[in-house]
Formats: sequence, C-alpha cells, structure tokens
Amino acid sequence: MKWSLVPLTIAAFLMGHSPVSAQPTAGPPLVRAADWEAYKSRFLESSGRIIDDANGNISHSEGQGYGLLLAVMAGSRPDFDLIWSFTRDELLLRNDGLAAWKWDPSTSPHVTDPNNATDGDLLIAYSLALAAKEWQAPEFATTAARMADTIAQTGVTENQGKLIILPAATGFSAEDRPDGPVVNPSYWIFETFPVLGELSRDPAWGKLSEDGLSILRQSSMGPRKLPPDWVSLHTMPKPAKGFEPEFGYNALRVPLYLVRAGILDRELLAGYAAGMSVQGGVATSNIDTGEPRDTLTDPGYRIIPALVACALDKKPIPEDLKTFTPTLYFPSTLQLLALSHLAEHPEQCP
Amino acid sequence: MRVPSIIWLVAGAAVVGYFGLRDNKTADGFFQSRATREAAGTSQPGTTDRSSQSGTQTAQLSPSAGTGGQTVPAAPPATVNATPSPQAPAPAPSTAATGQAPAVDETALRYFARRGDSKRLEAEIARLRTLYPDWTPPSDPSAVVPLGDVKLDDMWQLYSENRYAEVRKAIADRVAAEPAWRPPQDLLDRLTIAEARDRLVNASNLKQSEMVIRIAANTPSLLTCSEVDVLWRVAEAFAVTDRTGRARDAFLYILKNCTDQAERLATVEKAIPVLSRDEIADLLATERIGPDGKGEFEAAKIDLARRSVAAAGEDPKVTVPPSDVGAVEAVADKDGQASDAILLGWYYLGRDNPTAAEKWFRKARGVKDTAEVSQGLALALVGLGRYAEAEDVLFPWNDSSDEARKVYLAAVANLLGGDPPAMIEPAMLQRMAPVVGKARDAAAAQQFGWYARALNQHRTAGQWFTAALSWKPDDEPSAYGLALTRLQLKDAAGVAEIQRLWAGRSERIATLGEIRRDRQRPGTLPAPPAQAGAASPIAERQTYGDTAEAPARVIEASEQVRPAQGSGSGSAKGDRLQRNRSCKTTQAYSNLGGSASLARGWCLMEMKRPLEAIKAFENAMERGDATVQRDAAYGQSLAYLRVGLSNDAAVAAAKAPQDRKRTLELDEALLSRRASDFFGAGRYAEAILALDQRARIAPERIDLMAMRGYAYLNLRRKEDARRIFRAIAATGDREGLRGLKAVDPPKDNN
Repeated sequence: MKWSLVPLTIAAFLMGHSPVSAQPTAGPPLVRAADWEAYKSRFLESSGRIIDDANGNISHSEGQGYGLLLAVMAGSRPDFDLIWSFTRDELLLRNDGLAAWKWDPSTSPHVTDPNNATDGDLLIAYSLALAAKEWQAPEFATTAARMADTIAQTGVTENQGKLIILPAATGFSAEDRPDGPVVNPSYWIFETFPVLGELSRDPAWGKLSEDGLSILRQSSMGPRKLPPDWVSLHTMPKPAKGFEPEFGYNALRVPLYLVRAGILDRELLAGYAAGMSVQGGVATSNIDTGEPRDTLTDPGYRIIPALVACALDKKPIPEDLKTFTPTLYFPSTLQLLALSHLAEHPEQCP
Repeated sequence: MRVPSIIWLVAGAAVVGYFGLRDNKTADGFFQSRATREAAGTSQPGTTDRSSQSGTQTAQLSPSAGTGGQTVPAAPPATVNATPSPQAPAPAPSTAATGQAPAVDETALRYFARRGDSKRLEAEIARLRTLYPDWTPPSDPSAVVPLGDVKLDDMWQLYSENRYAEVRKAIADRVAAEPAWRPPQDLLDRLTIAEARDRLVNASNLKQSEMVIRIAANTPSLLTCSEVDVLWRVAEAFAVTDRTGRARDAFLYILKNCTDQAERLATVEKAIPVLSRDEIADLLATERIGPDGKGEFEAAKIDLARRSVAAAGEDPKVTVPPSDVGAVEAVADKDGQASDAILLGWYYLGRDNPTAAEKWFRKARGVKDTAEVSQGLALALVGLGRYAEAEDVLFPWNDSSDEARKVYLAAVANLLGGDPPAMIEPAMLQRMAPVVGKARDAAAAQQFGWYARALNQHRTAGQWFTAALSWKPDDEPSAYGLALTRLQLKDAAGVAEIQRLWAGRSERIATLGEIRRDRQRPGTLPAPPAQAGAASPIAERQTYGDTAEAPARVIEASEQVRPAQGSGSGSAKGDRLQRNRSCKTTQAYSNLGGSASLARGWCLMEMKRPLEAIKAFENAMERGDATVQRDAAYGQSLAYLRVGLSNDAAVAAAKAPQDRKRTLELDEALLSRRASDFFGAGRYAEAILALDQRARIAPERIDLMAMRGYAYLNLRRKEDARRIFRAIAATGDREGLRGLKAVDPPKDNN
C-alpha cells in the first residue's frame, strides 16, 4: 500500500519539480571539462575509485560520493557509470544497503569495517538522484530512494525536539555514548535534503534543513565562534569527548554546503568566514582558545570564505581561486564544488 | 530489513531467462511498471513471475530443475566436458529487447576464438548449442572471421580481465559517441552477473549475509555449478542468519546438480560445521560410490565422526552414535594418528571409562608425548586409582600449563590421601613437595599434612598444615589438622590460639579433646618449601617463589580432593577424621549415573568433603529417578549445611519433597545453622528468633543454649542470660559457669 505512492513521487521528480541546483541539463557543464579531466587524472583510478592521496591512497564513501557528484556536474555519464560501478560493487555491501565507509588498497579484503558514514551515503544517494534526472536513468532513482529511506530511518533521530543527522548508523547516539548524541555539522549537506525528500517517503527530509540550521546556530562557540568538527548534543552543544575540540577539516565545509544549498544566512555565513580567515588564508583552530592550528593556503580552502563574500556581498572571487590545478584530493574536491556553484549561479557572483 | 522470503535455487543458467541489467535494477523495487516487469520476468521458461511481489525487492528464484524436472539443467559443467568455467552463467539473449526471432549471437564466440581462449570458447559453444539446438558451431572456431568491431572487442577484453566498471564506462563512452549504438544484450547480461558476483563475494567477506542473500535472489543466474564458491557463500549466509533449512537446500542443490568431485566433497565439509546432524544426513544421502567401491564422502564422514567424538569429549552429556566412535577407532587404528587417539582418549575419559582412555592416550603417547596426552593419561590413571603412575606420567609436564598443574596436583593429593597411606618413594615425595609449594596449593599441602601425621611426623605435618593455611586462611581442615598436631606435640598454647582464632567457626576445633593414636610408619617426609623452621603461627602469610600475590585460588581439580570443610552443627567431637575410602575422584570427567553419584555423595559426606558432595548430589539429582532425587536433595541440603551455606541448604531441601522425619531433621539443622550464623554476625535478636523456631521442633542442645545465653547477654538481657547459664550449669556443663562469670564478672582490683 505504502509503495503505491512512490511512482507518482518519482514521476513528479522526473518532471523537473526539483527546486534545487546542480542542473547541468542545459548549457555547459557546471564542472568545466578541462577541470574534470585534471581532477580525474589525479584522483580517479581506472577501476572507478576516488583516491584520497593524503590518507594512504584509501578510498571512502565520501570520496566516491564526491566523485559521482562531480561526474554528474561534469556531464560525464561514462565516468559516472565507472565510479558508480565501483561504489556499488565495492562499498554498497551493508545489509541495510548503505555504504561501508572505507576501502583500503593495502588490505585484503579491501573493506574490513562494515560501518557507514552518513555524509558519504548522502552524497552517493544525492548524486544518483541527480544522475537519474540528468540521464533519464530510473534505476539510479530507485537505488537513491531506497538509500534515502534507510538514511532517514537509521541516520536521523530526534534530539531535544530537533531532527539530527547521526554520523553513522551505530556509535554516536545517546544510547551509544555518554555524551551522545554526537554529530558532525558538516554532515548536513543541505542541498541533498530536498532532492532526497522527493524520492523518499520519509517526512524527515522536510524538516532536516530547518532543524539543521537551528543546530548550527547553537554550535558556533569559542573565541572564533566556530563549530567544532564533532559536537555533543547531550545538553547544550559542546565539543564531543574523544575528539580534538577543533574547527577542522570537517567543519570548514559547512559554509560551502550552505552557499551551495542557496541558504545565504548572513549571520551564520559571515561569522564562519570571519572565524576561519587568518592572514594568508584559512585556518583550522582550537575551539576553546581560538588558537589557529593549520594555516591552509590551498585554493580549495581559500575559496570557501571567498565564496561566502561573493554570495553575500557580491565581492568578486580572486582570479587565482578560479583556476583549478589539482593539489590534494580534499581541497581539490572542495574547489570544484565551489567553482561549480559559481558556474551555476553567475547571478550571485558576477 | 527486507529479505526475500523464499529463495529457490535455480538449476541451470539457461533456464533462468532474462535477469539482465534491467532486471537487476527492477529488483531494487518500484520503478518499473508491472507490465514491464512481467514482460521481463516471464519471457523465458523457468522464470518465476515476480509481478506478484508487490513491487518490493522480494524475489523468488526459479524452482530447482534438479528437483522439479521440468527443465533441463544446461549450465556447464554439466554439459561441457565437466570443466567448470568461471564465465559459464549464460542467460539467454532477450527476445523482449528486440521483439524479433532470436538470432544466434556469436560475438563472444568469435572473441574467445580470436584470443585462443579455448576453455571459454568451449563453454560458449556448449551454451549456444543448448539455447539453439539447430545451431551448428563453426567447424574451425579459430578460423572464425575476426570481429570487425574493435571497440566491442575491447569491451570483451576488459570483461575477460574482470574490469567490469571499465566495461560500463566503455559502453557509456560509445553510446555517447554513437547514439545509435546499443551494447549486445549478451554483454550486458554477462556483465550484470559478473558484477553481482563481485558484490556478493565482497558482501560475504564483510559478513553482510542479508546482502549476500539479496544479491543472490536478484541474480539467480549466478547460482550455478560453475560458481560453487558463490553457492557456498549463499548457503553460509543462510546458515548464519538462522535459516539452516535454506542452507541445507543450497548445499543439497550443489550435490544434486554439480559433478566436480573435489567440490562435492568440499560442499559436505563446509556444511558440517553449520548444519545439524539430520540436515547433514540429507547431504550424505547423495553420496556417489566410485568404481573402487568407495563412497565419495568417506573423508567427510570421518571428519563428521571426529567432530561428534570431539564434542562428546568436551561435554559428557552429548550422546554419540556408536558408529561414530567405531569409525574414529578404526581410522585411529589404521592410520595411527595421535590426534585421533587423543580424541578417543578424552571421549572415554568423559564416559567414565578410564581403561579405554588409558589405552588411547598411551597409543597417542607412543607417537608423541605432549602435555595434553600426558595430562589425559594422568587423568585416566587417577580414574583408575593409580595415582603414583599418574604422578609419574605428568611430573615432566606439570609446569607446562595451569591445566596440567591442576591435574598433577590432583594426582598428588590423591596419592597422599590414600588410606591406608600409600608407600611413596622418598624421591617422589621430594619432587612433589616443591610443585605443591610453587603452586601454593592448599589442598595438596593439607594432604601432605595428613600424610605426615599418618607417618607420625608431626612437626612436618604442622608445617604443611601451616603452609596450607597461609595459602588458604579459611581452610578449616588444615586448621583442624594443625590443632591436632599441636595437641600431639603438647603445644597447649598453640592449640588454644587456634581455638581462639576459629571460635564460632569450627566446633570440632573448639571441642578438640581426645587424641587418636596414629599409625606408625617409617620414612621421612619433606618439609614444605621455605618452611624449614618450626611451625609458625597460623594464618601467617607466607610467600613462595618470587611473587607475593595472594594465595592461589583453589583450583578445581584439587578441590575435588579437599577434605572436610567446616563443621556442621552435628559435627562429632574429637579426632574422628574418617579416611577409609577415597571416593574416586575423576568427577569432572565422569559420567556417573544417578545412583552412583548419590553413593559418591554420601561417601564424600562421610569423608567430610561436603563441597564435592554438593556436586555429586547435584549430579545425582540431574540423572537419578524420583527416589534418588529425593535422597540427593536431602544429602545436598546436609552438605550445604556442613559448609555453612544455610540458604543454599534450604534451596536444596526444596528441590525434592522429603518425608516428615527428614523435613524435621533438615529444618532443625537449618535453624541451628541460621542461629549460629546470626550469632556470628552479631545479629543476636535474630539468632534468638531462630533458636526459638528450632526449639519448637526439637529440644535445645547445650551448645545452643549457651549461644542463647550469650545472645541475651549481648542484648543486655542479663536476667535471661543468667537464667539460661544457670540451667546449663545445672547439667554439670562447665559452659554454664563460664557463662555466669561472663554475666557477672568477678570484681577485681583493676
């Protein structure tokens, strides 16, 4: 009975009711062909896996999700099929249909930990949904819908009246840890929620954005008023035990995701941009002291506050950040995500 | 989690029909319309209509042709020289895709011919022949005209190198470049199956059994004899998700349809750990007899017999078909492998057959002497009452493991504890002593003490009892032994000290009086290690070796030979230690019947070894008939009382209905014990309550009257106390006068 509604939902989805971004259907691709070629040459293995070259050349569900998303935005069905084939056959192994989070070239078997990572699952499902629409490939929508249902069931829970995203199916809830639930603010990939909400019947998708923003507003803390990578929501938000109390490589994606989703909340975004900016670039920092830890000069990091300034105040993006030259997997990925947003919304940022 | 409710294994690839790429996706759920699904799902014979599955991913695989018989299993190796080909699963080309009469697709044939891949070529010819009976293969396959399609050639190349994701990319690349081009259905089908195979294996390696089953259900053409490994993984996935019936079906499918000898045997061997014996029997029924008259599963059957004998060796309650034991014995006799002999040794030890156990352990020991073998042999010898031999066998290994040391110490304690005392060679005694010392084994030390007493070596006996107490300060028998020894040595102060320390805890120590004349025996006993001096004050902690840890926990094996623990209210006065029997001590490894256990329990009670008696009575209750159970419950209750566990005693007494006389007796004993416990704990009011209750069913004994008196005194009910002690004094018992003095202490000048 409950299934009977689904074809209608999907039909609506395919008819283009999606209000959201990453619409490369008409016009040039959102990721420039040359940039995508450069990215692939460095981070995409012929087998279809995206290589995290700063982490022992492992792959993970997040990287595969980014690869799929970039392939859609680059308009490359062959690359999408390649990355998807690897992702499905090597990572989508869990009983619940979500992805094992880590693939290690140096172990046999390559996947030894069945745990998932919700941001990777969100990115994979989201990219499948976009691909289904882009290439009229309903089989992708089917898988995306099922993943979205499962994420809503196992990765989303209610805490203090708000829906929150748990970082994985196990290990982070109030039952699993004394300071639980523990969340990662950068796992709120806002642009995915409405798209997956159209595929999944779960009402959670309609509420995640609003509740997520509310949690973000509460999670800015310390002298720099920045969110920690890992936040305990046991009582008032605070850095989770067992993790560095740090605005780190996770959390610095938060403003990027907000801008990409079109959530131009000035107070939040301006605060992030100010808090993460230091002389010469962007910095990770200690939440309690505000002390910078790593100063990051890679364009992939520097483009984040620049994107915020541009989206809020039409401040032009510096030329050197518009040029893409692959460096390491993570910042290079972030830079392409930022550049594709600029390509999609020229009106935001002349 | 949604799981296919039914999975039938498919017999042959050719009957599977169209489960290609499109179907793989529809299996995900709800996208494809019902009409499309039906068109896809029913276009080939043997395919189950999946349209009734309400659009979820539930899928039924085709019924087994191997059992159903409607369709002919066509998959290699059944039809191809019995050579399994990894690429064999070969769904028929879809007619639904084109709507035209099927044309023989020779793409793969040509490709394999060109590459000189004769194995795959043969498999492909066989496959096409099955699909198209009228088709004639090229007379010279290697002369088949080369493909003109280089790009497709490259795709097959990638496919044959298992680079499936890259095939996907190549297909999409070509579709993008040549919009009119469509990949051959054959390639898509094979690709889908190959990808599913990879994913299934990966999920299986990650122990994601539901996913394994789901993939198998969605890709039935994967389940063929040429993919036995996949079938095994699916079967194991069923087994670990508690669907052993399905697992059995999967294993059985292999045995009914697949011919490879080694794989068939491996199938049975893989099934043995996960299926029940009955389910395994179904598999064994498919055994084929070879030209040499031997069954193909002989090795697996021996393995099965070994397992059951091994399981029985670990758990005496497990029953084993005699044929299993016979099979292992036969192979052990024939091959002479020590491992088989050891299995049998443990088995017989667990069946209370130490004679047979000795035989097999000796046989194994003849091949190679190891700690395990010697340990088993020693246990068998202990079971046979040949303690000296047991000690001798295990002495070289006593340090090899905790387990070996336990058994060794059990042998030592039994050897020392014989009655009449065994004649033990001085050399043997000398080597036993340091082991006992090093192990800080109170039970064996205590036996050394009794042995020394029996030999009239009282000073040595005192040292051993002292050592035992230092390792186990609450070891009442050792304290009693020490008190006896001091009495013997006319150390009145020493006796008084023990009596003071054990006041309220041991009646027999408190009332130690008459002395039994010990037997005289020649020989000199070793003193306990590091205790050469005279008997030291009791309960003084001694450390041995280089550690200073607490006395070792009393070990199970030696616990079985520990004599009387504590004293019940009915304990006799004086030295009446009865050691006229040994109550054979292979309990942990024995499988005594109910009556035998009951007899052993009483024997142990007589030996003042109530802790062991509790276990023996327990065993009797488990195995015996109603009469035995009643007696055993009674005995166990008494045994608990003897060690001072009155609550457990009450529980035990309730385990079987007793007659009125016994009920009264037990109640009386229980209440005495409780009164004593309360008194000892300083809970005087409750002690008096218990005494009152007891007084309703039995006259109050003098000792209990005294307890009552002191309880009153402690409650400052002096008048009551005085009354009681006067009554005691009137009987002539000096406890009365002592009590009266306690109530009204004589005034002195201090």
